[in-house]
Amino acid sequence: MANTSREDFEALVRRAGLSLTPEQISTIYEGWGYVEPMLARVRTHGRGREAEPAHIFRPEMFGTEAD
Amino acid sequence: MQTPTIAEAARLIAARKLSPVELTQHCLDRIKTVDGTLHSFIQVTSERALADASAAEARLMAGASRGPLDGIPIGHKDIYGTRGIATTAHSKLLEGWVPTEDAVTVTKLADAGTIMLGKLATHEFAFGGPSFDLPWPPARNPWNPDHFTSGSSSGTGAAVAAGLILGGTGSDTGGSIRGPAAFCGIAGIKPTYGLCSRRGILPLSFSLDHAGPMAWTVEDCAILLQAMAGYDPIDPASADRPVPDFSAGLGRDAKGLRIGVPRHWHETDFPVEDAVQQGIDRALAVWSGQGAEIIDVVLPSLQEYQAANFIILVAEAYALHEPWFRTRWNDYGELLRDRMVMGGLISAADHLQALRRRREICMLTAEATAGIDLLVTAAAPGEAPRIDSVQKWTNLAKPGFTAPFNLTGWPAMSVCSGFGPGGLPVSVQIAAKPFQEVKLFQAADAFERATHYRAKRPALVS
Repeated sequence: MANTSREDFEALVRRAGLSLTPEQISTIYEGWGYVEPMLARVRTHGRGREAEPAHIFRPEMFGTEAD
Repeated sequence: MQTPTIAEAARLIAARKLSPVELTQHCLDRIKTVDGTLHSFIQVTSERALADASAAEARLMAGASRGPLDGIPIGHKDIYGTRGIATTAHSKLLEGWVPTEDAVTVTKLADAGTIMLGKLATHEFAFGGPSFDLPWPPARNPWNPDHFTSGSSSGTGAAVAAGLILGGTGSDTGGSIRGPAAFCGIAGIKPTYGLCSRRGILPLSFSLDHAGPMAWTVEDCAILLQAMAGYDPIDPASADRPVPDFSAGLGRDAKGLRIGVPRHWHETDFPVEDAVQQGIDRALAVWSGQGAEIIDVVLPSLQEYQAANFIILVAEAYALHEPWFRTRWNDYGELLRDRMVMGGLISAADHLQALRRRREICMLTAEATAGIDLLVTAAAPGEAPRIDSVQKWTNLAKPGFTAPFNLTGWPAMSVCSGFGPGGLPVSVQIAAKPFQEVKLFQAADAFERATHYRAKRPALVS
């Protein structure tokens, strides 16, 4: 059971630009109940502001020498 | 004739006791006999296969063999692009699409002399499944066709186990090589991230996608990976480093290896069935008896790996599919669209938090495994369930054992470790540090050689 209200979930679907039937939204809403705990896990680790993501931009990938 | 392993066939072909044409015809006959039940192939390319087999035979007779894969029949998961041959991703959305280029790994395997028998079933775009609302049916498990193959490399798992091909390609973003290898009782390796080029393979999630081989034995996987691996300057994730001899550790025992066991993963985080636990215990006993050191380790929970892996995966996958989601929603299978749409509902901030969590988890994993060569756990929690019992949210409700090594990029493989009470195979998963495939193959091969599970093939009814 998702913690997000049905109304708020429907707003997420609209924001994604999807036009779904009430039945389709109901099905996905059920699955959202499994996604919410995952979102909580990645949000709540008290990491510092300096903690970078696993993938950062590497300029040398696009050439480092003057032509 | 029973389908030989790649290594066996290579020896016979080299000794001119087996013809590549004869071997290819054997596989084609077998496909004709049993694939009406298994549905492991989307397309069989018989004519081309026989022509390629004749060419391999001519090379052999001229003393110009290309090595152990010359004349070996294989298949490609149908997300691997094949020039001039339809590549569907098992989806209505790509029906009729014919690539103009081969995937890099397809070219490498062809250059090694393999014979492509056709394109293999997959979960739709390597994600949804098992789906019954697509243009082609889902692949079935050769050990019992009422049961699931797992996925997404479902066709490769089924075709190898049934002896329709000697090996094949798979892809793995959360376990899509190791899952079907486990349920179908074969060997499958997800190599280190970046070891095999992904260019020309339809992507699912750029930062988690891996290409790799699946085969009946560990040795065969090493032979296939030798041909598939190598730097590709056009794949941004490709690793610019020499490819080692993956067979260097084969035939040796596990003496001296330090093997870590995150018992909490398969005993507490997601307790496995007895047959799986017994398989893990057997493997540890074999290696311990050979002189390996077994060490308990504590890692982040499976749920921690699952959360970061899933959020990154669906965000990246949704970004790829978003235009079609808005315009061709009903052309997708229900399972794919209902699962993948989650990627369109999470926020950019959550995606970035998952990427930051990924770095933290990778560091925690490295710290907890200092001085350890390998990790051992389950590949799947039990025997394959009935295909009609798989629920839409199963993969979200429980954490998988395979995702940790997509998130960390470590190489990991499934190896058959016995059979459960239902007569279906169970497997053990072995992982190594990045680019340590040689040690991984060494331990996996040592276990496989110490057991008798490779002697038993599925008893298929034609």
